[in-house]
Amino acid sequence: MLNTPGDGSAIAATFDGYPMARQGKAGQAMALSAVASFIGGIMATFGFILLAQPLANFALKFGPAEYFLLMLLTLSAIISLSMGKMIKGFISMSLGLLISTIGIDTQTGVYRFTFGMVELSEGIDFLIVIIGIYAVGEVLYNFLNIDDEKREKKEVGKIWFTKEQWKRSRWPILRSGPLGFIIGVLPGAGGSIAAMLSYTTEKQLSKKPEEFGKGAPEGLAAPESANNAASVGAMIPLLTMGIPGSGTTAVMLGALVMLGIRPRPLLFENEPETVWTLVNSMFVGNIALIIINIVLVGLLVKILDTPAKILYPLIIMLAFIGTYTLSYTAVDFFFLLLFGYFGLVLKILDFPIAPLILAVIVGGDMEQNFRMALTSSNGSLGIFFGSGVSIVLITLTVLSLFYPLIMNIVQRRKAATNTD
Amino acid sequence: MKKWLLLTATALMLASCGNGTGTGNESGDAGEGKTDFPKKNIEIVAPASPGGGWDLTARTVQKVLKDNDLVDKNINVQNKPGGGGEVGWKYLQKKDSHTLAVNSGLLVTNKLLGTSQLTYEDFTPLAILATEWQSIAVAEDSPYETLEDLMKAIKEDPKGIKIGVGPALGNDDHLSLVQAADEYGINPSDLNFLVYEGGGDVVTALLGHHVDFVTTSMSEVKDQHLAGKVRILAISSDERLDELKDVPTYKEEGVDMVFPHWRGIMGPPGMSEDEIAYWDDKLGEMVQTDQWLDLLDNNDWDDYYMDSKETTKFLGEQTKLYEELVEDAGLGK
Repeated sequence: MLNTPGDGSAIAATFDGYPMARQGKAGQAMALSAVASFIGGIMATFGFILLAQPLANFALKFGPAEYFLLMLLTLSAIISLSMGKMIKGFISMSLGLLISTIGIDTQTGVYRFTFGMVELSEGIDFLIVIIGIYAVGEVLYNFLNIDDEKREKKEVGKIWFTKEQWKRSRWPILRSGPLGFIIGVLPGAGGSIAAMLSYTTEKQLSKKPEEFGKGAPEGLAAPESANNAASVGAMIPLLTMGIPGSGTTAVMLGALVMLGIRPRPLLFENEPETVWTLVNSMFVGNIALIIINIVLVGLLVKILDTPAKILYPLIIMLAFIGTYTLSYTAVDFFFLLLFGYFGLVLKILDFPIAPLILAVIVGGDMEQNFRMALTSSNGSLGIFFGSGVSIVLITLTVLSLFYPLIMNIVQRRKAATNTD
Repeated sequence: MKKWLLLTATALMLASCGNGTGTGNESGDAGEGKTDFPKKNIEIVAPASPGGGWDLTARTVQKVLKDNDLVDKNINVQNKPGGGGEVGWKYLQKKDSHTLAVNSGLLVTNKLLGTSQLTYEDFTPLAILATEWQSIAVAEDSPYETLEDLMKAIKEDPKGIKIGVGPALGNDDHLSLVQAADEYGINPSDLNFLVYEGGGDVVTALLGHHVDFVTTSMSEVKDQHLAGKVRILAISSDERLDELKDVPTYKEEGVDMVFPHWRGIMGPPGMSEDEIAYWDDKLGEMVQTDQWLDLLDNNDWDDYYMDSKETTKFLGEQTKLYEELVEDAGLGK
């Protein structure tokens, strides 16, 4: 709503969510995203019930090579989104990849670009980059323009979406749920990749791709649905194999162990009551979420009415608090401000920011997986073509890179035949 | 508003406690550990994010000390992740004796690997609390039935066998295998490691056949072993474990080594004799409670308690052992 995603998986939703808010459709946007999340979550919960075991086995097939290719696909997808700004998108992504190399290199144990600072040994948390560039950067940018800003009348609009918006979002929501769910099952892939891939998929399937990024309702609904579905999918490795697939599920594992429940390979067979209680809690959680969200839409959009001079200091304060809770050190404040100014410069120069953020999120893992794949194949690149999964991923990557180009040619042909 | 009330309330309580104990027992009772220490709340630093082994150790100590009323002040756990413990331990260095921190073999190896200047001598070792055991595991359909099969295969073709380890070379998972390989006359620097982000990822890689075997904590593979999905070939304890009666120890397999993956606790440098005696007393009591033993079981840890004197001696021996291992692995700095 303020163009400030709370975490990596919410980035894709800002592409169209923010333009919608600027067009005075904030209320509709929030209601739509609440419903989309709900449907995605419920679909994934059913998927969980029916498919937990086979999907867990499928996820095991993902070795280093497959993970590398999946991340490559995500990055190429986001590059293809920066229509007309491909070069800038590419530079932005490369900067993100550079940032992701900071910290200890796990394959060799060598410290890279830490300049002797212990705080940098584990790299820069991508959340600091997100909060810095989006939240702090956005506030700084608005300060620059605060004088000449006409303060466009921020209409909140109706707090329920229109029939037209629903019609356009219906199928994207239903398609993105399963997509997000399956990506969520892969340990370590998670919500950001799911949301980003669903966004590009919908854009390419859409009859009106030119509206994406300018407030297309389906551009908001699809990633929200995928994101929530992915969080349910992430439970599968935890419950079927006792292996946490993400940071959130790792903490859940800790909590479960303290309660005396130990997720283990045979949990489904031995303790079905535990598993079904958890599944029920997913249903209840999703239902509670949509009720809270819808009731609060009216209240939350009021935030937009808050005068800038109150709202912006508040955002900055929250940004600092959020940063501190990441690793409880004040050193991170320095990086927060650094990335704030960095974000400001990028905005002024009109660079797309999302490629940078996504590169920071997946860059580290992508590099490690690439090198692990090569280590295990003794340096042969053949491993990237070694399995069915990897060939599908390569094909999709190539397609997503050249799709804009092909579309251009097709359109020109059409135009040419029309003039003939 | 509520926070304020709480703060004032605790401040008042603290003030009155201070007065109460401060009068009269300056000395004399020290032998029974009844000095006026602690004067304020205790803080236990877990130098890692919530959810890991260090965090679990700190929170278990906090819970048992508190539930059994062993310490009458509040105990808080602080997470200070970063640099393989470095961030949290540096923080401890600057605090007074009311702050403690959890540690493990990394306290010794960081310095040897060249990633830190800190050693155990920069702190006041208080206790070793518990240990996990290291294990070697293969997938259930692996051709290697015993440790010896595996080691022979490695000797023939060290590069052809992929080993899963995580989250970094130079940790106990890695060094325990280095020691074992050494015993078999394999040059440890020839071993072909794939370094994963953590124990969970290592097991996933094993189940998906992306590596040939893994070296990791017993707790990471125990459930998979019991479920028949992986086979543990050897364990680094000195006797077979009750919960894994079918798994031989390294010793039985002809490798003369016992390799604990221990966890301990320490205070800042320069703690007084009385303060050390206080913790010897309290921690010694803690490790005998039923609750502590239950929680050890839940976490697949074994009792490994040593008091402050034994701990200091033990850390000295560990430093020597790790020095050799790091050298053998070709990681020495």
